Amino acid sequence: MDLVTLAIAATPAFIASAVEFVEATTIVLAVGITRGWRAPLVGTALAALTLAVIVVTLGVALVTVVPEKLLLGVVGTLLLLFGLRWLRKAVLRFAGIVALHDEEEIYRREVAQLRSQGLKKTEWDWIGTIVAYKAVLLEGTEVAFIVIAFGAKGVAAMNAAIVGAIVAGIIVTAIAAALRHPLTAVPENWMKFGVGAMLSSFGVFWFGEGIGAEWPGDAASIPIILGVFLAASWLAARMLRGLLPEGARVEARNV
Amino acid sequence: MFSALRGIWDNTYGLLVDDGQLAVGAIVALAITWLVASSGTDAVRQNAGWLLLALVVVLVVANLYRAGRNARRRVS
Repeated sequence: MDLVTLAIAATPAFIASAVEFVEATTIVLAVGITRGWRAPLVGTALAALTLAVIVVTLGVALVTVVPEKLLLGVVGTLLLLFGLRWLRKAVLRFAGIVALHDEEEIYRREVAQLRSQGLKKTEWDWIGTIVAYKAVLLEGTEVAFIVIAFGAKGVAAMNAAIVGAIVAGIIVTAIAAALRHPLTAVPENWMKFGVGAMLSSFGVFWFGEGIGAEWPGDAASIPIILGVFLAASWLAARMLRGLLPEGARVEARNV
Repeated sequence: MFSALRGIWDNTYGLLVDDGQLAVGAIVALAITWLVASSGTDAVRQNAGWLLLALVVVLVVANLYRAGRNARRRVS
């Protein structure tokens, strides 16, 4: 696989993983700045190791053991469920029905909570390690899922997805380390909106392939499917804005 | 042990399901598409992907509309 093909194949996993890395970095940054860097870095490394084991075990098993048609059906189903979840939440956030994800607010809250727990200089900071481990593992599980889902088509796709996720992790971490501040400028909801539509499109495409459907132009149909999802979601966001009274903002988790 | 398994299950479930009705609707759309593709003619099977896309788009818009109506009820 040449570099351009690899870059194109790795892009969906890169964008999807970047959103998750931004959220994980906010927590690790809060731990590092309030309690020192050694413990959260160890926690992060342990979580990365756990995730690598998950990706390698599940990814290799899926690609090599499960028959291709069944694999496409299963992965298509999972991608569709995962993508629709993101797409729905992003549209509700655009419409003001669910609050936007505020990295600054999450960071402040985390810092206050970590400071209140105190720090004994003589002992290993288990709190810092565990908080970082849990944050990276939680957000990283979604990255692992994304990598496995995008990479399920075969070894080349799996390699591209892994490269995309690793590059996203390196870039997000490097920017956060340079700024020493949560990445509030990242348009998270737009990214989640795009990624949700993209994951849903791949889900429909792969499930279709799994049950023997034929797409005109094969993978060239994906941009058309994506366009349909984006257009329908944009119209839905406009419809929702019209439904709510002028200026109304609802903070409702379960709507 | 039980709490660890419970945690893994909760995380996995949360990864895929945010709104139960949307998730169930998506599964139903997939099942309908699979049934249509496996019981129809070759032409039907070949075009089953578009049926799935149509079902899912209608499902998403309907689900968001319901969410909007619920939200409006809360503010009014």
